[in-house]
Amino acid sequence: MTVRNARVTEPMGARRVLLIAVLAAAVLIGFVAVQNLASSTVYYLTPTEARERNIAPGTAVRLGGQVETGSLRYDPQTRDLRFVLTDGTTRAAVIGTGAPPALLREGAGAVVEGTFAADGTFRATQVIAKHDEQYAPPSPGATPSHQTP
Amino acid sequence: MSFSFADLGTGALRAALPLAIWGIGAAAYAAAKRDGRALASARWSALITFLLVVLAALAMIGALVTHDFSIAYVARNNALETPLFFTVVSLWAALEGSILLWTAILAGATAYVAWRGTPALPRLATTALAVLFAMLTFFLLLVTTPAADPFVRSDIVPLNGNGPNPLLQNHPLMALHPPLLYLGYVLFSVPFAYAIASLILGEGGDRWLVATRRFALVSWALLGVGIVAGSWWSYAVLGWGGYWAWDPVENAAIMPWLVATAYLHSVMVEEKRRLLRSWNLSLVIATFALTILGTFLTRSGVVNSVHAFTQSAIGPLLLGYLVAIVVLSVGLLLWRLPTLRDAGAVGTPLSREAIFLFQNVVFVAATLTVLLGTLYPLIAEALSGAQLSIGRPYFDRVEVPLALALLFLMGIGPQLPWHGASRVTLERQFTAPIVAAAGGALLAVATALGGAFAVLTYALAAFVVATVVQEFARGIRARRALHGESASTAFANLLRRSGRRYGGYIVHLGIVLVAVAVATSQSKTVEVERTVSAGDHFEAAGYTVAFGGLRSVREPQRDLLVADLAITGNGADENLRPALLFFPNATQAVGSPGIAAGLHDDVYTILVAYDTSARSWATIRVLVIPLVSWLWLGGGVVGLGAVIAALPQPKRREVMRPLTEAPATVGD
Repeated sequence: MTVRNARVTEPMGARRVLLIAVLAAAVLIGFVAVQNLASSTVYYLTPTEARERNIAPGTAVRLGGQVETGSLRYDPQTRDLRFVLTDGTTRAAVIGTGAPPALLREGAGAVVEGTFAADGTFRATQVIAKHDEQYAPPSPGATPSHQTP
Repeated sequence: MSFSFADLGTGALRAALPLAIWGIGAAAYAAAKRDGRALASARWSALITFLLVVLAALAMIGALVTHDFSIAYVARNNALETPLFFTVVSLWAALEGSILLWTAILAGATAYVAWRGTPALPRLATTALAVLFAMLTFFLLLVTTPAADPFVRSDIVPLNGNGPNPLLQNHPLMALHPPLLYLGYVLFSVPFAYAIASLILGEGGDRWLVATRRFALVSWALLGVGIVAGSWWSYAVLGWGGYWAWDPVENAAIMPWLVATAYLHSVMVEEKRRLLRSWNLSLVIATFALTILGTFLTRSGVVNSVHAFTQSAIGPLLLGYLVAIVVLSVGLLLWRLPTLRDAGAVGTPLSREAIFLFQNVVFVAATLTVLLGTLYPLIAEALSGAQLSIGRPYFDRVEVPLALALLFLMGIGPQLPWHGASRVTLERQFTAPIVAAAGGALLAVATALGGAFAVLTYALAAFVVATVVQEFARGIRARRALHGESASTAFANLLRRSGRRYGGYIVHLGIVLVAVAVATSQSKTVEVERTVSAGDHFEAAGYTVAFGGLRSVREPQRDLLVADLAITGNGADENLRPALLFFPNATQAVGSPGIAAGLHDDVYTILVAYDTSARSWATIRVLVIPLVSWLWLGGGVVGLGAVIAALPQPKRREVMRPLTEAPATVGD
């Protein structure tokens, strides 16, 4: 590309350079997008589905289920968080770091995001107490209560 | 019969609907036959429709304020305890109310075009008026049928309502962010309607674009400032220390903004060089279609999002509307394509129009990749049944390089003349900015900013700032030489008399502030999480955080569990109160962060967990986030620049003087 002669470049040649540059940019961006789409996909699964599909260790997964009663352990000093997520059929041992969300409770729904380790435990990078905003309007005179799903 | 807000609102909307339908016909007839009486009729229809819809919106506010729970919307989104402020803003806290607000804004835009637009361009604006009436009719149909009728009666009138969604009743930004976004979304209907009118009439020229340039700029700015206000809201309310999550609704708002930004620039190419005519029409159509797509995505429940309202019958209707708009406008565009000839060709790659073209390509690529990431889960579910989401890494890795490319183009575009640059021009325009860019890179390295992207952002930011400073300096020097003005007068006159150009530079400075804020806060945030008892203290990035204990606070509409924190060090001395909020209508506690905001950094504290039995301990997360307030500041600067650019330029009085206002070498 000769800058000195830029003004006198014949228009067709300049247009071709532009067109090629635009096309190259589009192809490059498309390639980067598709590459990253595959590596950023997070699958939503239940523990049973995860087992049936034989999810490979390291694949990003979002696992939904219930926190099994009696399984929730959190050590405020080491910040080690452990519980079992179950869908009624299959159980998955979840290990995470950091305090659980304020309303993560045994028997309540939870969603964990992370990957399965080689030993079959689930290493959560994120623990979300399941949003359950299905509040019914209170009947007349009644006090709306904090429901437990 | 006693007065009822529901009757008033329902009546007003049902009276507005036939008027809007009449308006389509009257405006179309007036445009086709150049009939003055039909135009007068369309004008009055527009004005009365607008007043009726405003009356309906006021009726809804009246119903909310008087807690009229006989209206289902009020019963669902309001409670006796809701503070007055959040009661009023509940007008847009849920589906039906927000569609009512949308309709009111659209009716306002229609009335504006009817009264102010048609005298200037009788045929074009009157045709656009018919298009606007047609869109208004669709929205009036929504609010007068069960799809989104805001005044539907409750089956049983409850003694107390449910109250607004907890997230929507704890921050004053709730009053600002949604109306700004809606204004931005809806006002873009005007450039779209003019573009369609131009296609219908087969004008093939640029009149539609010149007539709506200011409208496009204002709606772009409102959308942009609304997006920043939304991220500020998310930062201040959601308690995660972030401000952007590539949530579908955020994507829905940013996509039309991106295309509109491309449009605002390519408009200049069409004005100056009579190029890119069909491209500009495509951008306007795309922007408008994306605003409807965004509304569809967030109002139909097809995507999971913190913003998504519950599933409703409105989804299929909006989808139908979207398809109709895309099919009709693309059809019109293809039909008229032969009349849309460009006067010449884009110059060399080093001309301003070529950079604008590149910039447009990058903006469109950014939009398409965001669209892909947003819709991919829907496509995948339709094809394979798999439920999945596209994580943040996709958006970060794809959009960050594109944003840097745009920052680069923003630096060089305004510095190049139209048609092409000579080597001398290049040296004169870029020597100082390149030196500044090296300085910016050094600054980033010296402050130990992590990552190549952050260093690049600093370099490009310094580059852009240097080009803007250079432009202002040259403009001021030229005015001083020509008019003998003082430096400050010359500066004010540049903004007043060449607002479009220099306001644009101010917008660019705002974007630089946003870029620097994002790069710095993303790469240098320090996070510390500690479990502490009352009286404990700990360090976070030079700040000392002392925990005073937990206490309960009762407010009429909610209960709070507050952690008392004292922040000292780095010149700060503040008491913060991160809290968990318990609302009677929600099963989840809502976290509310305590934030000590500063120009240098924010101390952002979250009550993560606490000892539910004895309250003997609490887990506190502290984020020290550098420069995040520059983001809000940048949004304000963008808005300010847009105002300067949109203000009408004063009439030139000094007719006898030479009118050069800027160095002619830049080839404005």
